[in-house]
Order: sequence, then structure tokens, then C-alpha cells
Amino acid sequence: MHNKPDILEILGRTQTGEYCTQKEWDTKRIPLTIRSILKEHDLAGACNPDEPVNTDFDLADRFYAAGYQAALELGYLCTDTERIVGVSQEELDNALKYAPAEIWVGEGKDATLLRARTPSDPYPMKAATSLGITVSEDVMPDMLYLIAREPEVDILEAGSMITVRGREVLSGTPIETLMGYEHGVMHREARRRAGREGMGAIGSISAVTEYGQFGAYGTPGGFRTSDLALILFPSEMKVDYRTLHKVVHTLNMGGIMKCDSPGMIGGMPGPAEGATVSSIACALLSYAILQNHVGGGEIYDVRYLSNVNREGLWALSVIYQALSRNTHTLCHGIANQVSGPGTENLLREIATGVSVLAASGSSLTTGPRSAGGKLTDFITPLECRFVAEVSHAASAMSIENVKGVVQALLPKYEDSIKEPDLGIPFQKAYNMDTLEPTPEWEAMYRKVKAECIELGIPLDSH
Amino acid sequence: MSMEEILDGLKSAVIEGIDEDAAEFASQAIEAAVPPMEIIKGGIDPAMDVVGKAFEDGDAFLPELILAGDAARAALDLIIPMISEDDLEGAVHGTVVIGTIFGDAHDIGKNIVSAILAAHGIKIIDLGINVPPRQYIDTALAEGAEIIAISSLITTSLPYHREVINTLRDRGDREKVFVIVGGGPVTAEWTAEIGADGYGRDAQDAAKVVTQLLEGLAAGQKPPLVEPITAGALKHG
Repeated sequence: MHNKPDILEILGRTQTGEYCTQKEWDTKRIPLTIRSILKEHDLAGACNPDEPVNTDFDLADRFYAAGYQAALELGYLCTDTERIVGVSQEELDNALKYAPAEIWVGEGKDATLLRARTPSDPYPMKAATSLGITVSEDVMPDMLYLIAREPEVDILEAGSMITVRGREVLSGTPIETLMGYEHGVMHREARRRAGREGMGAIGSISAVTEYGQFGAYGTPGGFRTSDLALILFPSEMKVDYRTLHKVVHTLNMGGIMKCDSPGMIGGMPGPAEGATVSSIACALLSYAILQNHVGGGEIYDVRYLSNVNREGLWALSVIYQALSRNTHTLCHGIANQVSGPGTENLLREIATGVSVLAASGSSLTTGPRSAGGKLTDFITPLECRFVAEVSHAASAMSIENVKGVVQALLPKYEDSIKEPDLGIPFQKAYNMDTLEPTPEWEAMYRKVKAECIELGIPLDSH
Repeated sequence: MSMEEILDGLKSAVIEGIDEDAAEFASQAIEAAVPPMEIIKGGIDPAMDVVGKAFEDGDAFLPELILAGDAARAALDLIIPMISEDDLEGAVHGTVVIGTIFGDAHDIGKNIVSAILAAHGIKIIDLGINVPPRQYIDTALAEGAEIIAISSLITTSLPYHREVINTLRDRGDREKVFVIVGGGPVTAEWTAEIGADGYGRDAQDAAKVVTQLLEGLAAGQKPPLVEPITAGALKHG
């Protein structure tokens, strides 16, 4: 008995916890608590945009202490019942103590070992690609296959479906349940076709509600229970029955899960420092409240829905340094790009965000979010390869060296973050007969890769 | 208290997001016979400009924006009934029913748009997240709203946009309310495809679209529009 609240106890707290309206939570409870904690720990104003990567581990540790305090003071708000699901210090400590420090994702020789890391750890940050960018149904099988066959890609997530046999998927309806199953089957087939049948996966990104997940995860032929169940939950520090349905389903299936929710810079917790505290708190609570295996620490800047700007990169560096230095949890991070395929800036945004995550101690990244995830088919396997390459190559870099990379690359794209070039879709960036990148897209990749090597990321030049 | 002091008080109350104080200063201004449009232009508009600029610059955050919008609304609820018919014709006013569509639990974008619209003097009825199509329609018709604003971050929720429009049409109510759409995966092309009336890429764009629709309505333009009004197109190849 670990004295971590079991899921039935948590479900009970969604009915019996302190009542708090969502408005009160959003406009009072979160901002005032975070503001007070920042003041108490003397962390207000710690983010200096001129220093977009934190190199002061003591500061990261102080943010960890602040996030831990916020976790205990806040808990999550259950939006269905407007009740606060809180945990005691003993429950939180035990949840963190018994959280896994390593986990296999996938099966047999193709499986990937996620391991708790520390900053500049030589054990590489693993790469799951891509994020859930929508992909046309006719393209999806090839897209899954092409990403799965990239040898550096460790885990397959890839795009989300918007139609099933030509019919639009309406989330929350039985069509979503059907889509979840068909997506899972297609996903397994792509890994088999790529010769990596046991390759781990994250699924199902297409499952917006619990129905898609019921159809996809643990079903015969669908996502296996050795794959990570994808469970995204609302910010800021909220949970809902949709999330908890997915958690219970994963537990019922005997599976493993990756639960995360972003802190929002400029949102309810305020500036980058506040969102950093909120993000750490949210990640810690996921182990106690959601029985999580692989936790978050995600962050966005609400002005750009990105985190490869100065404040976002700073927050990423602090969050993963804080989590990796103070827990043995398997932390997962996302670099949110805004530029699209067929642009050099997409690759530079990958290089900055992913290298910061890798050197700061994240165990796993999922990406890229090409074109900000806005447009159907605006994703190609080539940038997925680059995410994985940078993940592995930058892991052991010193944080000071990564800061140098960021300071060199960031000025090349930061002026376009607000109005990014979303690039071109897969069908234009790849030759559809050979399923290879066009010479133009390949040349951009070579150019930016050479820039990164020149700046000190030890990438293979081939 | 002088008129300037009252309007300064109103401005401060809106910036601070204290709706009781905003309502109190609005009442005092009305009692002091300050013309309603002058109260708006001298107290509320400059306050929302300050908060909006601070948000854009990263010096104020979403809670401040929401609370300022609430405070502005508390004052406007008292001021608008006092505006003469003549002045009302020249002012942009109206009601927007807003929500994140069914299947989608993301509310940040919707909250920002709500706050910005409130700052422009628009009455907001916020239905929250995961809103079924019929709830937008029933609420809009019951409240006499001019515009339904649908927010989405998730692509598989997009088909519900079409359902709102088709249901309005099939019920014979399409001429009663404009429908605008926005959010991460929403594009101007999608807006035109489903027959919506407007699209804004971000909150400021949404405010421009709403303003144009309300001005058009005042000038006799009725929904649905043949060509949607769009602001802030995405840049891609």
C-alpha cells in the first residue's frame, strides 16, 4: 500500500471536493495563488528575455519548490462538477516516489526504453513523432509508414484522422468510436509495413473524446497496452470526466499512459514565471490524481500558441531542469513550432525547442507541430526525422552550449512567429511517386542541419 | 466629484476589473447627466485600450482581460439603455452568443475573444465549452443575439460548425443570425465552404469582423452573407 489515492478515491473527490466555479478558478484561484507563490519564493521577474535558456540550476530548483507548493495548494478543478480534486503532501510524495523511473514502450526488439534523465544526460531523450496534425485519409497510411520507417524515430504518434472512409468524423459520436478502432488498426499496419512491428506508439491522437480512445486503445488489432495511451487534459490545472474516462479505460486495459496539459504564458497563471510554476504543479499532480506513467510540463505562449519564442524557451528550460533534477519521473516535453514544411524556419524552430528539451533533462519529446498544427497535410516525415536527430544528438550537450545554439538561431525566425510562413503540404514537399522529399525541401534540411552542426549540435552530417 | 474624476474612476475600475466599482461610477456619471456616449468614450474605451495593449505587450494576462471585460460590461449594462436612438444608430452594439463547439474542451481562445468583444461594448453570452449546435441556436434566438461565434481548436469538431448553419437553415432561422467561426484549424476557405458569415484569425480580427457585421446589419444587411467577411488570412504556399 503506497498511500497514493486510488482512482476510485479520486473519482469520489470529483463529487466531494471543495466547490469552486470555473470562473473563480480561472480569474481568482489560479492567478492569486500563483502570484502569491512567486512572491514567496522571490521568483517574479526571473525570466529575462535576453537570456532565453536558463543555465542556473539553483533557479530551476527554486521553481520546483514553488511548483510543488502550488500542486498542494491548488489541486485540479473538475470542470464537470466544479469541485477541486486536491491531494495531501503524503499522497503527492508517495505518488512521486512510486512513479516509474523507466518504462518500455512497444514490444520486443523494436521497443523503446524511456528512462528518467537529468540535464545533459548521455542517455538520449527519445522522440515520438509527429504531433496530431490532421492528415487526409488517402495519405494517412503512407504518412504513418514513412514516419515509422525513419530509423531515428523511436515512437510513432503521427497525424490524426478527420474522415472514416470518406465520412467526416464527428467527435463524441459513434463515428469517433469507429474511427478510433480504424486508426489503431492502420497505425499497427504501418509499423508492420515499416519492418518495426514492435515499435512503440502513442495513441490515439485522433480520439478527441473518450469514445475514440475506447475504440482505439487495447482493442484487438488496435493500439497495444505496451503503447502509451494519450490523455490530454484541459488547462489551467483542470480535469474532466472525459479525461478520467480515458484514465480508467487505460487502467482497465492494464496499459501505460502519458497524461499532459499545458501551462499558458499570458493565460490564467500570468507571465512566463507563473506559467512555469503552474506547469510544474500540473505535471506533479498528474502522478497522484491521474495515476500517470509519463508526465507533462508542457507550456504555450497564448499570444502565439507556441513556445519557441524567448519566454517559451526559457520556460521549457526551467521546467525540465526542475522536474528532472528533483524527481525521477519520466517527463515529456513538446516544442511547438509555428512555421510549416518547406521552410527553413520550421527546422530552426525544431532545433531550438528540441535541443532545449533534450539538454534540460526531458525523457521524451513529441513533435513536430509543423505549421502550428493548423492545416491538414502540412506535415512531412523529413521534419520528423530532424526532431529525432536533434533529440538524440543534443541530449548530452551542456546547457550553456544549447543556449549558444538558441541565441544564434532564434534571431533568424523570431520576427516571423506572429505571422509565420505555414509552408506547403506533404503533397508538394514530397514526390508522390517516390515518396521522397523534393530536392528543394531536402536542400533546406541539409542547409539547416549544417548550420546546427556548425553551432555545435553533434548531428550526423549524412 | 467632477465629470473628469468620475470618468477617471470608471476607467480605473475597468482597468482593475472591479465590476461593482465600474457600475457605481457609471451610475454616478449618468446621475451627473454626462452623455452616455461620452461616458463610453471617456471612461470605458480608454480603459480597454490600456488593458488590450498591456495584454498584447505581455504586461497583462488573461484574468485581467476577462475581469476588465466583465467590469466594462457591468458599466455598459447601465449606460446603453440611456443612449438615445440617434446615438444608438451611430454606435456599434449587439449581442454575441459564443462558445467552444461540441467535442472540444479548449477555452483559452474563446475567452480571449469574449474579453476583446466585451471591450468593444458587445454583450457576450458565453456558453462555455463542448456546446451542442442546437444550444447556440436556441440561445441566440431566445436572447435576440445578432451573432453566433463558434470557437474550435480540434479538427474533428469542425463538422459541427456546418451543423449549426444547416440546422439554422433547415429551421428557417438562417436569416435571423450571423455565424462566425475561428480557432486553430479554422481557415477562411473553411468559412466559405460551410457558408458561415465571418472568420477572424485572432481575437482582434474577430472583433473587426463582428464590428463589420453589426455595422452592416445596422445598414440593412441581413444574414447569410454571400461572401464571408474574413480578417487575418494564414500565409502558406
